[in-house]
Amino acid sequence: MENENRNKITINIGPVHPSTHGVLKFVVEIDQDTMKKVEPEIGFVHRGVEKMAEMKYFNSFMPIADKLDYISALNWEVLYATTVENALGVTVPPRAIYIRTLMCEMQRMMSHLLFLAHVGEDLGNTTLFMWGFRERELLMDLTEEVSGGRLAPMYVSIGGLYYDLPDGFSEKLLSTLNIIESKVKNEYKALSYENGLFKMRTVGVGVISKEQIVKYGITGPNIRASGVKRDIRKDDPYLAYDKVDFDVITETAGDCYARFMVRVNEILESIKIIRQIMKDMPAGEVKVKVPWIFKIPPKYTLVRQETPRGEAAMYMVTNDDQKPYRLKIRAPSFYTIQAVKELFVGSKVADLVAILGSLDPVPGEIDR
Amino acid sequence: MTEEIGANDFSYPGLGEIIFMKSENFIQSVMNWGRSRSLWPLTFGTKCCAMEMIPFGATKIDADRTGTLFVGDSPRQADLVLCSGTISKKMARRLLNAYEQMASPKYVIAVGACNISGGLFHDSYNSIEGIDRIMPVDVYIPGCPPRPEMFMDAVLVLQKLIKENKIKRYQDGIFGHNKG
Amino acid sequence: MESSDTIKGRFPTLLSDVVSTNKNETIVLLSDKTKLKTIVSEIKNHFDILFMLMVVDRPPKVFEMNYVFASYSKNDMLTLRVEIEHDNPSVDSISNLLESADWEEREAYDMFGINFKGHKDLRRVLLPEDWPGRPLRKDFEVTDEVRNWTGLDLKF
Repeated sequence: MENENRNKITINIGPVHPSTHGVLKFVVEIDQDTMKKVEPEIGFVHRGVEKMAEMKYFNSFMPIADKLDYISALNWEVLYATTVENALGVTVPPRAIYIRTLMCEMQRMMSHLLFLAHVGEDLGNTTLFMWGFRERELLMDLTEEVSGGRLAPMYVSIGGLYYDLPDGFSEKLLSTLNIIESKVKNEYKALSYENGLFKMRTVGVGVISKEQIVKYGITGPNIRASGVKRDIRKDDPYLAYDKVDFDVITETAGDCYARFMVRVNEILESIKIIRQIMKDMPAGEVKVKVPWIFKIPPKYTLVRQETPRGEAAMYMVTNDDQKPYRLKIRAPSFYTIQAVKELFVGSKVADLVAILGSLDPVPGEIDR
Repeated sequence: MTEEIGANDFSYPGLGEIIFMKSENFIQSVMNWGRSRSLWPLTFGTKCCAMEMIPFGATKIDADRTGTLFVGDSPRQADLVLCSGTISKKMARRLLNAYEQMASPKYVIAVGACNISGGLFHDSYNSIEGIDRIMPVDVYIPGCPPRPEMFMDAVLVLQKLIKENKIKRYQDGIFGHNKG
Repeated sequence: MESSDTIKGRFPTLLSDVVSTNKNETIVLLSDKTKLKTIVSEIKNHFDILFMLMVVDRPPKVFEMNYVFASYSKNDMLTLRVEIEHDNPSVDSISNLLESADWEEREAYDMFGINFKGHKDLRRVLLPEDWPGRPLRKDFEVTDEVRNWTGLDLKF
């Protein structure tokens, strides 16, 4: 073998590998433990969701929208319902809008808690993994109480919600929020973001620059960690986000640590939002009557919203039929995962896990 | 399964049976008892159900109680495939690859509707309608997604099946593609 | 909205307005597909990224390409609609102007078989290379044959 090639190897990481989040594959060229070239490969859970949308009635697509990004199901339910409602011209009652906002924020907290747990596990911090899931379980139980489902709640219907909040939900929710707030502020602090070992693994690793953000079209918490103040909830408010007071969390460093911190602070921000929502919750109906099968005239409808992973959008083309003519889904992780081509290069193989974990990709949404 | 299965439902052979048992059967039942108590799963999770598999291993349900230890996802060390989520046509061969690498005896638990029959995605162009089309399955966990408690139940059922020697054996050539 | 008006003002003959029903979004129709790159390099001065690329199959005549552009500092979105022929569809790649179009174009190639001229790495992105057919085309039907196929014979 040639001398200069002796240190070079190409390895396949994935598709099922403990360090990849879900089923992703990376073809990595390594020179003495430093990554030189990375080629991400996706499509291992491609289910043809866009084709299935064309084959189903508008209402019947809802459970599939649920499973696009299974960690933030309610956000995608709301996004799909909003798209159809906009195309149909239905106005949702104010109580439903408030409850949707509440559920979106609860889902965002669950998603971010899962992120913290996973980063903990990836970096060998198993206690953080256990704790993240412990707090997430509390919210899961609440979601289950509201909707009957844990991961795939099927709570949002076209025209509002399937049912109202149960009795005594408000007190349970607020006491749960107090628990989570104190845990995140105190216990998590000692274990993760003020912990020396944790900082050693994350500070300065996998920096995303502003050029890379524009180059690949990355959105969401990942760019807020690089100092880009962009949040659809604030910039182009939907649901009840213009009626609540909250800050857009930003960090400046753009490394793994900053991405972790953005999520930690967004959990606290979500708690703030939910408290305001519960205070201002209007009374009244939670849905307007929409028939199960209906037609929508020829129209193009584009809706975008902020999911925990970034700006998600649905572009729906209707053709005076009971089914959509075409539904295009913009999944934020699809763009984020392109950036690993540059992010991994120059880092050690061991940092692959830290960088990938901090990007928080979900293959269900990447592959659709 | 019609019988009630509880955690204390041991099926040790009694002393009288042991004395009159053939030696192979005795060794078999002791080995099966051992196997049933140390199921190391290969977590082949592709989608939502994998998210419910994690609470199964985490604090609330705690899989370790049954000897189901999540120790490294290597097919060589595993004897149970916890296969969950939609298996796409691109993934099918990779799943089979992992399965064929495992040391015998090996057991399969199919988790979730997509995995059992295609489920919600049964009319998709890129999902296979159930993994029992490509490999034998011992226990099915229905649900979309199933609750974490159901994973525990499935492991208990599998343990009983192993002890009673009712496991589907993987034989070369049965499914046509394993020759050569 | 101003930036989309500027772009329309620069190419009055090529771009025509299409009535849009959404707030913050302008849809313009490009009449000549060979001028796509010229227009996109102008759009690049006002918008940052290709937000999404939606291909609509309208057999038997055209594929409708909807390029949606967005920016990090503004809420405006611009949809540029180009119609290309249905037989042997091909269009200029914009991935060397906007890198965010890279995988979107690969996906459109994957799902519809649209040939992007000048794309540096035009492979399928979601499906394996030897997957038969272009599934999102309207003439692709999900038959029992497709559903029963387990895909074990795929090479990639």
